[in-house]
Amino acid sequence: MGSELRKDMPVLQVTDLSKDYMIDDQRLKAVDNVSFTADRGEMISIVGHSGSGKTTLLSLIGGLTKPDRGRVLIDGTDLWALDDRKRSELRSRRVSFIYQFSSLIPTLTALENIILPTTFGDFSADVEQYARELLGIVGLEDKARSYPSHLSGGQQRRIAIARAFINNPEIVLADEPTGDLDEETEQQIIALFKRMNGEKKVTFIIVTHNREIADRTSRQMRMSNGVLVAQEQGNHL
Amino acid sequence: MKKIGIFGLALRNLRRKLVRTVILLVTVAVVTGTLLGATAFITGMRNALKIGTYRLGADVLVVPEKNEAQAKSALLAGEPTTFYMDRSILEKVQKIEGVKKATAQLFIKPTSFTCCYNVDAFLIAFDPATDFTITPWLEKRLKKPLADDEIVTGSSLPVIAGDTLPFFGTPFTVAGTMEPTGMKFFDQSVFMTMKAAYEMAANSKTKSMQPLELQKDSISAVLVQVQEGFTPERAAIRIEHDVDGVKAIASDEVISTVRRQLGGLLKGIVAISLIVWILALLMMGFAFYMIVNERQRELGLLRAMGARRDQIFGLIMTEAMFLSLAGGVTGIAVGSGLLYTFKDLIMRGLKLPYLLPSVFVLLELVAGALLFAILTGVLSSLLPAAAASRMEPYEAIRKGE
Ligand SMILES: Nc1ncnc2c1ncn2[C@@H]1O[C@H](COP(=O)(O)OP(=O)(O)O)[C@@H](O)[C@H]1O
Ligand SMILES: [Mg+2]
Repeated sequence: MGSELRKDMPVLQVTDLSKDYMIDDQRLKAVDNVSFTADRGEMISIVGHSGSGKTTLLSLIGGLTKPDRGRVLIDGTDLWALDDRKRSELRSRRVSFIYQFSSLIPTLTALENIILPTTFGDFSADVEQYARELLGIVGLEDKARSYPSHLSGGQQRRIAIARAFINNPEIVLADEPTGDLDEETEQQIIALFKRMNGEKKVTFIIVTHNREIADRTSRQMRMSNGVLVAQEQGNHL
Repeated sequence: MKKIGIFGLALRNLRRKLVRTVILLVTVAVVTGTLLGATAFITGMRNALKIGTYRLGADVLVVPEKNEAQAKSALLAGEPTTFYMDRSILEKVQKIEGVKKATAQLFIKPTSFTCCYNVDAFLIAFDPATDFTITPWLEKRLKKPLADDEIVTGSSLPVIAGDTLPFFGTPFTVAGTMEPTGMKFFDQSVFMTMKAAYEMAANSKTKSMQPLELQKDSISAVLVQVQEGFTPERAAIRIEHDVDGVKAIASDEVISTVRRQLGGLLKGIVAISLIVWILALLMMGFAFYMIVNERQRELGLLRAMGARRDQIFGLIMTEAMFLSLAGGVTGIAVGSGLLYTFKDLIMRGLKLPYLLPSVFVLLELVAGALLFAILTGVLSSLLPAAAASRMEPYEAIRKGE
């Protein structure tokens, strides 16, 4: 990937990013003038009350919704200066999302769900091999042919996480990825993130309510009413 | 299993709500089947009429003014009939500008005493010297010209070559039988030479209990082929203008007469097809609106995975295309099956020289019906698919909750 050429450049630069919503003639600043940068391989957590704009911020960074003001640069490319097609292609190659809710396609098996993102982009033919590898990494190699309805909530989430890595993303945007999971699964998932972060230098931005997860990231950010109110360096556990 | 692909994804989606998929498929099938049935029926009928007049090879049929209706039913339904006019009309017609060839024919309706079997045979006498309508067909079956004691029979008559059949007391030898033409005018007729007919009439006074009143030099009709550059209608108008007491029926007019008779029926068929189609369009459109709506989040998630707008559009369109293709094929299979099965019933019910169109034309109709089915799919899903592709991914994911 072209990113090798720009090792010095931050993988993500967010500048004065804002998004407003009009609700009953009231302007709601969902994301308000947010700026920060993320270096390659950083693991950042975002905490904040419900409604403070965390999901909106992740969506802006991933190019899923258009900001009213400000810029998002991924590897130096201005996301919102691209047309929709180019933006989709960039997303396909470099960004992945992990959601709090079950995001698997019910008509596809676990393995097919993991492979699914490669349908939309230019990926090498042997994605199945890699998909099986990822299935092993999330500890579900025996569930390749299972449909989501036959998997537990935790298993489904692990499949969704495996799916997030099939495109070898540079940035993973995770929105409360362990939200409704038991502690043991939560631990597995954090360990998994750590592993991908260490092995593949994937940059993580994780929205979480979980203090413990936040503590294990390299940097913690806090949002309040759309504003980034604090950033602190973590203790790299 | 390699990649799933847009097509695979579309198929899985269709399987997800099987009942709805089947209902939509059946809808398209009904529309396509109705359409195929209607068009096959209409073209078949039109073809039968065209073939009828083409096979006759005549552009204009000149008959006594008062016998117009009889002439048309003879031509179209092979209804046996008898009427006469003077042979001088042939000469008059031959002289008219625009007439290339003209030949006379005699139509004789045999009485039940003259024949022994239970078919409405129709005697047609032609003039071998000038004929251009029947001879080409006879030549295919006969090695030598028809002698004056011979006849050729239509395919519907239960006789074989070598049989002897008496008409008005005169025995005739069957020289050959014709191939089925699908046209009763040919299939139920007995052909003899003009000379034979006159002799038969003369002899009937002594040989038959029911003599045939036929004056020498009587004819029933003059068949006309027009010159290039003249339309049958124009020639017909001239003939009627220049020759007293005749009706000149242009071949197209024959067709349009029948079309008028069947106009109500055809309009009904077209109206029903149209209504069924519009209903199907609305139903499919609504279904796809629902499909897009209920899968909003999923489509948003696909966008988040890197799916482009055109890929989302393609996904929805693929589902619609598959539905309409499968439905179209089903409809065509069932429709043509029914059409074929009830072909005879329809023909009998309508008392028409109705024919299924030729295989080639039928293939064209099938292709047309299939295109129409696809068009239905495209039209009904175009707007929902476009809307789906234009959704903002974040909104789609959020609202789809
Ligand atoms: N599409 C939208 N339309 C209207 N309001 C929205 C929309 N998306 C988010 N909001 C509002 O913006 C604020 C921030 O939402 P969100 O980013 O989901 O917060 P968080 O993820 O931190 O809970 C909330 O008040 C929410 O209601
Ligand atoms: Mg949120």
